[in-house]
Amino acid sequence: MLLIACPWCGEREELEFHYGGQAHVAHPAEPEGLSDSQWGEYLFVRDNPKGPFAERWSHSAGCRRWFNVVRHTVTHEILAVYPAGQPKPVILP
Amino acid sequence: MTRREPAVTADTLRRSPLGHLAAVFAEHSTPAEPSPAGEPSRAAEPSRAAEPSIAAERCARLREVPFLAQLDLQLEPGGPAAQRIAAALGTPLPTAPNSVAEAGELRVLWLGPQEWLVIGPDGSAPATAALLSAALRGEPGSVVDVSANRTTLELSGRTAREVLAKGCALDLHPRAFGPGDCAQTLLSTVHVILDQIDRTDAGPTYRLLVRGSFAQYLSDWLLDAMEEYRHPPLTP
Amino acid sequence: MHPTVVMSNHVHVYVSQAHKGELVMGAGVDSYNGYGQRGSFHLIERQMAAALELFPVFARAHVLRTWGGIVDVTPDASPIIGPTPVGNLFLNCGWGTGGFKATPASGWVYAHAIATGEPHPLAEAFTLERFTTGALIDEHGAAAVAH
Repeated sequence: MLLIACPWCGEREELEFHYGGQAHVAHPAEPEGLSDSQWGEYLFVRDNPKGPFAERWSHSAGCRRWFNVVRHTVTHEILAVYPAGQPKPVILP
Repeated sequence: MTRREPAVTADTLRRSPLGHLAAVFAEHSTPAEPSPAGEPSRAAEPSRAAEPSIAAERCARLREVPFLAQLDLQLEPGGPAAQRIAAALGTPLPTAPNSVAEAGELRVLWLGPQEWLVIGPDGSAPATAALLSAALRGEPGSVVDVSANRTTLELSGRTAREVLAKGCALDLHPRAFGPGDCAQTLLSTVHVILDQIDRTDAGPTYRLLVRGSFAQYLSDWLLDAMEEYRHPPLTP
Repeated sequence: MHPTVVMSNHVHVYVSQAHKGELVMGAGVDSYNGYGQRGSFHLIERQMAAALELFPVFARAHVLRTWGGIVDVTPDASPIIGPTPVGNLFLNCGWGTGGFKATPASGWVYAHAIATGEPHPLAEAFTLERFTTGALIDEHGAAAVAH
């Protein structure tokens, strides 16, 4: 059970949140110029690191706002919480 | 002679999600009847004559407050529209997360950084919506009547907090949560808006705003969670 | 209960019985990537609630141990079976939590893929290519995985 600090509501239990997968996946600037495999790559291929991972979460049972979290995928330690749109914080492994 | 049928109006037709449970709520908001004399468990303990008063103090109370007016308000805080709305309501929109502002009969609950829920008495939605829309004056934002989305349960009494603690992960201790605080959270896996409206010597009073289709489930859960407090404690 | 597996899509749990009589149950997956192999408490709680819904008599049983593994899940929650762009590399993965119930059938079509280099007609829709062509299995696992 994760305890996630929503930037607005503070620490809440994991059940109140919805997971949004990897953060910082930018929408292609010119999707019409991409091949099928490049588009498939954008849609489906994600990093799956064993260690710190920047990901999106939404406080779906609370204020319903999206934000970003850096979580260690082995220890589940939450290393950073920051607003969507901000650059990924530098986390040393 | 023709018999006159009562006029059919929106008021006579409308039903709250929990209207059929009013008597059940009332019964479960009072201490359980002592078992009839002769039942072994009670008959063996004649010293428990004072039980009803202990149970009366412990008993939590539940009722539905149906048909409250609820308006969802979305706009950018701090802008001119927010100031006009503050003037129209008579209170600034609360900007501290999960806090409540009161303005006469209205309560304004913070739902998000650009979202509030304005709660008023039954029937007040059209007038309040007109007031807010006029104050918004076409600026980016919205005022939506969501009164039919949720009904309201009111839970009170000295053990009300203990009842909620059985299914809610929030710290509702007075040091962390009191009148003027609200929260959107889960109670027994159901989305609720929790609004503490009062705290007295007789315990806190919470309002739980719950979607109509989840109201029966949540009521059943609450009645079960309240049941133990209708009886004296097992360990004195 | 032995030797059957009972499962319910509706309450989401499956249960079988080991030879010594213990009940082995499984169910949900964390919504997020993880290598912790712990199993979240709320998933265990929901799984037990689901099991009791199916078999109220289980309320008298005790939990001996719980564990979690790594669950491989694909974007459309259906498995990937068949050849890959890499020569002589074949995939049979992405079964989520439903793999063991489908082992005989998946082994059969996978053997065909290895033997011929082509996907078995039954498993044609389940190749890796679908994430390029967009022909996803749009049934959230219902097509191949049992839940």
